[in-house]
Amino acid sequence: MAEELGNSMTRRRLLSMIGQTAGSAAMYQAMNSLGFAGESTFTGPIELSGAPKGASVLVLGAGLAGMVAAYELRKAGYRVQVLEYNDRAGGRNWTLRGGDRYTELGGAAQECKFDPGLYINPGPWRIPYHHRGMLNYCKLFGLPLEAFVQVNNNAYIHNSQAFGGKPQRFRTVRADYQGHVAELLAKATQSHLLDAEVSAEDREKLLASLRNWGALDKNYAYVKTYDSSDRRGFAQDPGGGLSGHPVLSEPVGLTDLLQSHLWEALAFGDYYDMQTTLFQPVGGMGVVGQAFARELGSTIRYNAKVIDIHQDEHGVSATFEDRAAAMSRRTVGADWCVCAIPLSILKQIPMNVGQPMTEAIAAVPYGAAVKVGLQFKRRFWEQDEQIYGGITYTDLPITNIGYPSTGYFGGGKGVLLGAYLFGPNATEFTALAPQDRVKKAVEYGSQIHPQYHEEYENGISVAWHRSPFTLGCFGMWSDEARAQHYDNLCRIDGRIVLAGEHASYLAAWQEGAVTSALDAIDRLHRRAVAAGAAGAAA
Amino acid sequence: MSTARMTTAPMRMVIAAGLGLLIVCGVQAPVRAQSSRMFVAPKLSTNNGAEIYQHICQGCHMPDALGAEGAGKYPALANNPDLKSSTFMALTILGGRGNMPTFGAKHGAGAMFFSPPALSYEQIAGVINYVRTHFGNHYADPITAAQVEALDKAT
Repeated sequence: MAEELGNSMTRRRLLSMIGQTAGSAAMYQAMNSLGFAGESTFTGPIELSGAPKGASVLVLGAGLAGMVAAYELRKAGYRVQVLEYNDRAGGRNWTLRGGDRYTELGGAAQECKFDPGLYINPGPWRIPYHHRGMLNYCKLFGLPLEAFVQVNNNAYIHNSQAFGGKPQRFRTVRADYQGHVAELLAKATQSHLLDAEVSAEDREKLLASLRNWGALDKNYAYVKTYDSSDRRGFAQDPGGGLSGHPVLSEPVGLTDLLQSHLWEALAFGDYYDMQTTLFQPVGGMGVVGQAFARELGSTIRYNAKVIDIHQDEHGVSATFEDRAAAMSRRTVGADWCVCAIPLSILKQIPMNVGQPMTEAIAAVPYGAAVKVGLQFKRRFWEQDEQIYGGITYTDLPITNIGYPSTGYFGGGKGVLLGAYLFGPNATEFTALAPQDRVKKAVEYGSQIHPQYHEEYENGISVAWHRSPFTLGCFGMWSDEARAQHYDNLCRIDGRIVLAGEHASYLAAWQEGAVTSALDAIDRLHRRAVAAGAAGAAA
Repeated sequence: MSTARMTTAPMRMVIAAGLGLLIVCGVQAPVRAQSSRMFVAPKLSTNNGAEIYQHICQGCHMPDALGAEGAGKYPALANNPDLKSSTFMALTILGGRGNMPTFGAKHGAGAMFFSPPALSYEQIAGVINYVRTHFGNHYADPITAAQVEALDKAT
């Protein structure tokens, strides 16, 4: 049987089948080119010392990059002042909890009505184990971390146009995909189609590995067996006693699986940035920014809208409008400046730096993203569907449903990340009023979880292009722009150096903000020390 | 996947579900092109300038086209003398300008999952003509898709 099918399997068919996965591969490459799979350059806590006597640094922006710079420079002996537009620290490091109010550009105000203890992170929500800079500061500030579940085999992959719109468990899609691919490769191997690539010595090892990887039977077929059910799940789980006989499940056929496109969602957990183990701070990501703010105290001046940045041979000054005092203007100065304002804002602020940095600032458009948090009367995803943390992927505009990686088995209410959109989907959601984004998230999500209809209570949405303090989500570098402008963006210009995720290869990751700040202040410190020594000699 | 396959019953059901949404939400009609792919960048399927404005542009320029200001600002399109030049608008939409991303495929729109949506020449002409005759703007000279295309090819 296997031999007969094997003979019908041509190399062309095999390659054609593999080629059908190119769609998702192209997407991964796109994500890589955005820096989404980059590695942290953090090697250990920074040790700056010996700041020139009386030297001062002005830090613009109290997001993570600005606060890392301020914290470390102050420790090294600099006089530091931070200006922040918002009335809170953290920037995109931010958690929305019950009672929080958020007014977006255009004036629409929302109040978060979540129950105590429930939250969403409108910005970053996970810290990979190798983002050591972020983890270092969490540890330093004594912030407890808990595991963030990225891959949940019992969450869903959902395509509204496949399997009658019925969501499929991640577990079954992955098992069936691996099983069928393993069977095809085994057939090709047995039919000597791969002899040019696979030596006789490797052949038996390859076949054995395929059986192992794909849960194939003794004839190298992926069929309904105990082994395949032990990957994809049973129709009825094994148990004890007379009622414990397991009932095996039937794999989905290769054609149905390929045509469903559900395989597009299989590899997310394979990215370096999304591999186990990931972490989240207990209580919401925003506790990191709050911890920095506690450390920095009155070093941070809030409600300060920077409208002009000027440098000369003596120092740097920034003029700001005090949003808490009728926009009255003030100018503050320092010897040096770490500017951690997002490029989307910075490109609108007059600043006398050279042409290379000016062009670099202008070269990076900001990516769109939208998140929606939804509160439900009960944790039905756990109670009804045994989904504990993790993510469901869907072709619907909401793209992701994120289940909380905390508070499992809680008897009370629960909050889902009801939508996490990027690109064109996010652009369209941004154009909606906040309450309509929430309504759409509920409508779309109910196609996957019908319980929404009964259990939904309230929601809140953040569309990053409507965020008054960023005007977008993250710096979206093209390969061409990065080649031409990245180094010019990061180089010190006179007395000013930039920092933030936009000045990193870790686009949209907090680790990009942290490592860019550490890299920037290390260089700035050396320049300041050199200048200080020169000043003393003169 | 053939185009014939894209008009099968499940897809019509999706469109119907979208229409249901219209009633529930009281927001715009669905104007999205459908595909069986999971993470394909969706494209607007309308050339109607008002619909394009409502689905894309008002995210930043706001429903009343008055723009907005926070730490930075989005310019108003209402009563905007810069819109006297339809060429200026077309080049801005095609290639981006300042903080505004490109919506032209030649400049990378629609290229990646995270990219802004790519608009066709017809769509760009449609939205330009809409904005230049609404929100207090009264410019009588419409731009054509062919003119937008010529501008795109010339730059």
